[in-house]
Amino acid sequence: MKVSVKAKDIAVIGIMSALLITVQIAMSFLPNIELISLLIILSTITFGWKTLYIIYIFAFAEGAIFGFGTWWICYLYVWTILMLITMIFRKNRSPFFWAMVAGAFGLSFGALCSIPFLFIGGKAMALSDYIKGIPFDVIHCIGNYVSVLVLFKPLYKLFDRLKRKEFR
Amino acid sequence: MKKEKSWIKILLATLALFAIAVLLYFVFLKNIEPPTEGIKKITVRVIVPGEDVQEFAITTEADTLRQALEEEGLIKGQTSTYGFFITEVNGRKADDSKQEWWCITKDGESISSGADLINIRDNDKYELTLMEGY
Repeated sequence: MKVSVKAKDIAVIGIMSALLITVQIAMSFLPNIELISLLIILSTITFGWKTLYIIYIFAFAEGAIFGFGTWWICYLYVWTILMLITMIFRKNRSPFFWAMVAGAFGLSFGALCSIPFLFIGGKAMALSDYIKGIPFDVIHCIGNYVSVLVLFKPLYKLFDRLKRKEFR
Repeated sequence: MKKEKSWIKILLATLALFAIAVLLYFVFLKNIEPPTEGIKKITVRVIVPGEDVQEFAITTEADTLRQALEEEGLIKGQTSTYGFFITEVNGRKADDSKQEWWCITKDGESISSGADLINIRDNDKYELTLMEGY
């Protein structure tokens, strides 16, 4: 795993991080309907390991804007998990496949975010926090599935074209 | 033939994903506490940092916390997809510019759903705390 950062990479990382933050804030009035999963999948397919920089700039910016609460701890690993899963299946270009991955990720988001509560309040607290959030996980699953199914193909074409044009 | 098989796989995987989602939703429904029938007494403590804690004993036939608090004229708020979002308690408005918000807890334990999704039971004790910072 070699991550070398050139000037063009810095520009891409900056633009992608800004895009993630803007999209997240613009859609924050819709609970658990987000395009971050889609953008991280696309970014990982297109830019590979450099997506790690994008994820952590995004996570720190989110903390700076909304406060470094308990919710923020899960931002330190949850998007990285999605990136790692995407890296494994990076060659796949099927919108249905990525819709499935994003849907499953959305459905497990609450479970992943309740991990810090295991250490704060034990198994009972983590489980109760997870169960209370299940309706939002279901919304997250459906939202991710539909958004990736609809937007994966056109956005992948756009990302791929930009990469070919700018990173020859 | 190969394409057909791949479609069947996709369809089955999608069905499995949504089946798991439905199953989890049933787990959620099974774990919600139903409200107590008839009249119940609940206690609500309003906590604003730096001010005296106010306590309200409420006797109600309402099923949800929102109904009980609105009957008492104790809260104002707005509906969001997360449920009813409290913006004002006993005349004290949460100031967005200071990132203030009202946090609902039951016996000190956090509740992540809105006041209209909380079924009340006899002798429940709730706290409404003004928090600063998201």
